[in-house]
Formats: sequence, C-alpha cells, structure tokens
Amino acid sequence: MSADRRFDATTTTTCGYCGVGCRLEAHARGGRIVSISPAEDGPANKGHTCLKGRFAHQYTRARDRLTAPLIRESGAFRIGSWDEALNRVAGEFLRIKAEHGADALAGLASSRATNEDCYVMQRLFRAVIGTHNIDNCSRVCHSPTSFALRKSLGLSGCTGSFDDIEAAQVLLIVGANPTAAHPVAGARMKQAALKGLKLVTADPRRIELADYGVLHCGMRPGTNAAFLNGLAHVIIRDGLTEEDFIAERTDGFEAVADLVADYTPVEVERITGIPAADLEDAAHIYGEADRASIAWGLGVTEQRYGSECVQMICNLALMTGKIGRPGCALMPLRGQNNVQGSSDMGALPDTFTAYRSVGDEATARLFEDRWGVKMGRERGMKMPEMLDAAVEGRIKAMWICGYDIAQSDPDVEHVVAALSNLEFLIVQEIFENETSSFAHVVLPAASFLEKSGTFTNAERRMQVVEAAAAPPGAAKTDLEIYKLVAERLGSELPYDGPEDVMAEIAEVTPHFAGVTYERMGRRGLQWPVAPDGTDSPILYTEHFELAGGKAHFAALPYKPPGDEATDELPLILVTGRRLEHYNVGTMTRRTGNLALFASDWLEIHPEDAEELGIASGDVVEVRSKNGRIEIEAQVTERIEPGHVFTAFHFPEVRTNLLVGPSADVNTSCPEYKVVAVSVEKTGVAERPPLAATVA
Amino acid sequence: MEVFVDGVRVEVEPGATALEAARLAGKWVPTLCFDDRMAPFGACRVCLVAIEGAAAPVASCTTICQEGMQIETTDERAQRIARNVAELVLSELPEPPAGHTELAEVVERLGVGEPRWHGTVHEAKHDARHPYLVFQHELCISCGRCVRACDEIQGAFALTATGRGFHSNVTAGLDSGFQESTCVSCGACADTCPTDAITERFLFELAEQGSE
Repeated sequence: MSADRRFDATTTTTCGYCGVGCRLEAHARGGRIVSISPAEDGPANKGHTCLKGRFAHQYTRARDRLTAPLIRESGAFRIGSWDEALNRVAGEFLRIKAEHGADALAGLASSRATNEDCYVMQRLFRAVIGTHNIDNCSRVCHSPTSFALRKSLGLSGCTGSFDDIEAAQVLLIVGANPTAAHPVAGARMKQAALKGLKLVTADPRRIELADYGVLHCGMRPGTNAAFLNGLAHVIIRDGLTEEDFIAERTDGFEAVADLVADYTPVEVERITGIPAADLEDAAHIYGEADRASIAWGLGVTEQRYGSECVQMICNLALMTGKIGRPGCALMPLRGQNNVQGSSDMGALPDTFTAYRSVGDEATARLFEDRWGVKMGRERGMKMPEMLDAAVEGRIKAMWICGYDIAQSDPDVEHVVAALSNLEFLIVQEIFENETSSFAHVVLPAASFLEKSGTFTNAERRMQVVEAAAAPPGAAKTDLEIYKLVAERLGSELPYDGPEDVMAEIAEVTPHFAGVTYERMGRRGLQWPVAPDGTDSPILYTEHFELAGGKAHFAALPYKPPGDEATDELPLILVTGRRLEHYNVGTMTRRTGNLALFASDWLEIHPEDAEELGIASGDVVEVRSKNGRIEIEAQVTERIEPGHVFTAFHFPEVRTNLLVGPSADVNTSCPEYKVVAVSVEKTGVAERPPLAATVA
Repeated sequence: MEVFVDGVRVEVEPGATALEAARLAGKWVPTLCFDDRMAPFGACRVCLVAIEGAAAPVASCTTICQEGMQIETTDERAQRIARNVAELVLSELPEPPAGHTELAEVVERLGVGEPRWHGTVHEAKHDARHPYLVFQHELCISCGRCVRACDEIQGAFALTATGRGFHSNVTAGLDSGFQESTCVSCGACADTCPTDAITERFLFELAEQGSE
C-alpha cells in the first residue's frame, strides 16, 4: 500500500468502535483520513472489517467537532483558551476539595479511550486529587462479566481467543447479536457455521445467526438463569459431565447438582417459554461436543441477575471440562473497543491495575511508593452511587470523559437531576452531547484516529493504536489533558507519551510485566504477559487463578427480573444495537451510516401488532413505569410475541427514558434488557428525507 | 514436504498450492482472481507456472504441491500465455487501469503494452446510489473476487455474477443496487476488487477530481 500514490501516508492502528479489535490501515491525504482498509494480518479481523471501522470516519472532520475549550459564563458556553479552561478546572477542583474534601469529586473514564488514558486518569484521581471515586462506562455493560469470571475462574477476561470460533465444533451464543453489534466476529461465526460449526442461539430476538444455526431458543427476557440451570440439569441428568475435570480442577459441583435438580425441562419451559425438547437438544449439542465455546453479550449482563448468569455460564463449561483448551472458550463480547482495558487499567473505584483491591495492603503500598502519596484503603463510589451522591449533594464535581451518561444511562431523569445538581462538571469529548449541556467546562479531545496508545480487545489482546491524523484545532489527546490538569493541581505526571505510561503499567502489574510497544508490534499480546514477552491465548490450561488453583461452581437459583409484564404494561422492551450505528451514535450519526439507517423503530411481533392495531410505519407511544417515548413501529417476526425491541443510538428517541433504576445485584449494571411497557398507536410517520452524506 | 521453485528448495505443508510455494520462495507470480482470504478459484489464468512433467502450464493457485515437485515461475510459455490473457482483459476496458490497482501492477510487471486488439470496449456505467460504495461496471473483469468476498468473508450473499461472455459483470441483489440487496456495507468487495469496478465513494470522488 505504501506505493499507492493516492495516499500521503498509511498508518496501521486498531479500530475504536466495538470490542473485536480489528486492525486497520488508515490512509491519509493532505492530513485527512480518506480511506480505511483492514490490516491483512489483524489477528481478530484477518483482513476484514465492518462498515463502521472501514467507512464511518467522516465524523473526525465534521463541522461541529469540538476544536476549542468551551467555558460556561452566565448560563451559556463561550469559546475559551486552554489556559482559561485549565485555570477554571483547577480553581474549582481545589476549591471543592478544600471545602468538602477529595471524596466530593468523582471521575468517569471512558472505555473508548486508550489503556494509557484510563491508567493516567485513575492515577490522577487517586494520587493527585486523592479519591478512589473513579469508574468507567463498563459499569453499564460488562461489569457483571468481570465480577463473575473473577469469582468462578480468577481472571476478568475471555478464557480463549476469537480463533476458538473456528476451532470449536459447537458455539452457544446467549444474549448477543454478533452480526449487528460485533460484525467481524459475527462474520467469523457465520462463516464457521457455513463450514460446519453448530450454532445454538438463545435470545428473545431471532437474531440473524439463528438462521445459520442448528437450534434457536427464544426465551422470555430476564429468564436466562432458568435456561442456563436447565442446560446444567440435562447435562448432569444425562451423564454428559466430565467427572475427572470436576474432581481435579473444581470446587462446589455438588451444590450445583443439587440445585439444578429442580430445573427440569418442563419447569424451564414454564419459566422461559423455550420448548422442553429444545432445551434437551441444546444441552446435548453442547455437552456431547468435544470442543464447544460459549459467547455472550449484554443480553446476559444487563439484567438484575446478570453477574449470576455469567457464573452459571462458567458452571456449564466447568462441569463439561470445556475450558482451557482450543475450541473451548468462554467469550464475553465486549461492546466498546476498550471495555476490557479500561477496567484492567484500574479505572474502577475498588481496584488498581489487574483488579487488585485498593484495600489490599501490599498492592496499595506498591502504588503509594510508586506515586509518592498516601491513599485510603476504602473503595470509592461506583458510577450509580456517584449519581445518587450528586443528587444528595455529597458529590460536588465530576469529570466525565468520552461517556454520554445523559443519553446512554438508564433512568435519564435521575441522571439529569444529578448532573444539574453539580457545582462543577467537566466533560471531555469530541462533540457536544446530551451530557455536555450540563457542563461548566467542555474540553475538546482527540478521536481514536488522532491519538496513540493501546486498546485491549475482547480476547484480552493489547494492541497498538497509532495516530493517523492530527486532532482538529486546539483539541488535545486525553493524556495531554490529564498532564496539563495535574500540573495545575500541583503535580507532575512523568510521561512524555503513552509508551512511558505503559512502561509504568508493566512495572507495577505482574500481568502486564512483559508488555512493550515493540513486542505488541502488529499482532498485539494477550495478557497475562510474562516478563519475557510470552502471552496467553488460552487461560487456565493448567490451573485456575484462584486460591488452590481450583475453579468455583456457583449454585444460584433463577429469580424473576426487576420488572415484569402487567395488565397495564403488557410487553417487555429489550434494547440493543443496530449494525449501522454505535451506542449513542455521536460518531456514526455524523457519517454516511445515517443514510443507511436514518431513524430508529420499534420492532413488534405481528400477533401483538394486530391486537394493538399497529402497522409498520405507525408512530407509537411506548410507556414504562419510568417514562414515555414516541417512535415508529416495524412489524417483524425477528422478535418473539410479547416483546418489543429498539436501539438507543438516537438522542431524539431517548430510549433510556423508559429504563428504570433496576440493576445487577452485584455490580449495579443497569437492567436495560427487561422493561415492562405499553405500546399504543398515536399516528403515522412522515419520513423525513434521508440525510445527505457528510463529505 | 519439500518442493523446488525455480530450483530453490522450499518446505511446505501438505495441501499447499504451487502459488503458496512460489511465494514462500520469494517469487512473484501474477494473480488476478486470487485473494488469500478466500478459497482458490482458478478463473483468471494468469498465475500460470510450469510443472516438470506436466504437458502444459498450470494455474498455480489451484495446483497442489507434490513431494519433490519442480515449479518454474519464469517458464517462457507460461509467461506468454499469461501476457496474452492480461492483454485480452485490457482490450475490453475503455481506459487503462488506474495505477494503484492490482490489474495495473500485473500488466506492468508482465510487460503488456497497448492491446493489439481494438474491438468493442465496455461502456461506462456507474451506480453511486450507496453512501460508500460505487460500481464502475465497465471496469469489471469477471474475476469473481467481490462475489466470493461477499460470500466467503462476510457472508452477506449480496453480489452475483451476471451475463455471459463480453457481457459478464457483477450486480448487487436483483440488479437493484447495494442498498436494496442484502448488502451490509462491509466493503469487502471494494477491498478485494483488482480494478476498481467496485470502489469506495471517497476514493472514486478523489479520482474524479483528477487527483491521481
């Protein structure tokens, strides 16, 4: 490609959209990205990418990019200099800290940012400001996965690699729609299915991959636990367990065996709606395979008992010995490019890097010595706690980076109340968004194509990100911003660039001991990485990372979700992602993807539509206990009767007004996936003309 | 197993093709319909090599290595046929291929000049309805790479080969454009196309502005 005279420069980097971690070649001309193609040697994408990674880069040069700091003055924003913005930030932070203590401040790091950014932000909050009130947006997606994998197996990450898709004979996909939300992983699954991989899909929607699978289990939202315990029941009942593996490498199997004895296929059918015979088939397809993997997404985690369901997924792999070898991966599909890394890096209120507790004396001492400060041993606030505290006036200031909580978090009214009540809010962003409208200072940041560092993908692969263009105007990289703010707060952060940050991370974290940019090279490294650079495509080949080396079964019953259909609210809303868009749509809505998918709709089954007198194209009002929205309906058999589906990409739809405060019992991850609603026709949509492509 | 490419010994895995062996030996073999990401197709007939004992040159992308096989990448007859094939491909195009395309590289390295045959050439027919992907049907050489990329890399099954002989081409859906087909806009077709018959809209517009 270097000989391609259409381009001045080609930079190999890592995609900043979903957690698959495609390696990309970004081609620039005249300082602008004009084309992106997949890197042929990308380990996760193998020369492929999707319409987001390849095409949706025009947002980087959109006219409304933030190119200078914005400062609120008498109620409105004005453009300011960095000097003014930094003075305001430091002045307010120091004032609030002096008046109310450091714990009146809180920060949210971004799972879109690099590992180095997240590490430096948590250091800034812990060591410079003096509080553990730091969290990141994985709180609302995969925190239950992290919690459960650590409990059951030891490490918070995929147990294998994407290569296990092709190495497996069977792949069970629960609560995920990979061809839309993780398109390149989805394409690999589809191709593998066409070549003989047996796919079993389990989701309230008949996802595209169900059409290529051997069995689809369409369950009622919120009943994953019954389904998973039902699978365990059949596996144990029919002798599909691996006795030696259970005896040698695990603890706690008997309790699970006792518990799931009640989950007969007939009982599971009553709870989930999945025909008993299909449950039996699914258990046999998984249990009888020599090599089988399980992939799951937010359809498992974003529920009241999401973390427990991930523990139940671990149970299945442990009782059948399908872990720690090729083709037997437990594969959480991470929503954002750096969901894995932001948490690995310690941008969490309770842990330093690699999930080591802030209350652990030896670890805390290590960081205190490294940073030359004293720190508390009590954990800080999780994100929902920060918002509650802001409403109550205990949190006075927040710094939110690359995370539009006013659009993406549930219970929007509560979020708005929290943001409105802050004395001081910094929003660090590439565009103004719903959250920045509450800010006192908006700091213009670089997009992933304009910065360097590393992302960690869903298979624990740390991959190099390299700037392919310069940030626009006065926008700066997150790392530069943290350094400048720290300096104003009276503390020098000793990093000339992201490589210096990674050197420190490697030094203070045994799991990342051997990580260097040179070793990551073009293919990255899957952590843990030994001091000599040896990485770990497959975890737990010999032992589990828990005391005694044994994995823990978890005997957990099915419990009903936080919301239930009633006479007034008879349908269950599930939310998710569309292929063409990405989360709050800040980026994709500013690209040609908008011409491919211009406005959202509510999917509703023909039976429900008929009963409610709704046709495709009608505008409907959707009501929950929490709020109401209007949206166009689309009648489709992709969704099961009794359920409706939409995404949350469009601020004008404000889907999350409907989602209430119910959350995962262990991690506070919101229950986006089970919301009781009513749907009523209010009119007929007048489709606006498709938006013109932004050049 | 071991094979010899232009006399150089290389070690290959069982099932490797002569093309893979040649590349392992660091030899260039022209290809048009081949792409590492997809199964070999053997349609373009420019990846010809001579195999000791074979009556005629063979397509290296579909020839499986045998123990001790002698592969000649510089065989004069193979090169002459490949040149003629490339020249015939060029003779149908309304203009020489753009410099960055794989077809341009193959033509240049094979030393194919101005085609000797001045017959009918394809008429320009563009479809720019999609926000990212543009068809330039006149540049299609029917190598089938886009259709196979759509099937074998993405799995969208949106593209189809159409027509026969001189009228062979490629189409999305039932000739209804990308957006009305099952296309998921992944761009694998544009990525693999060796002639820009399917290309990216930005790059198409850059080229239209005469900036190449």
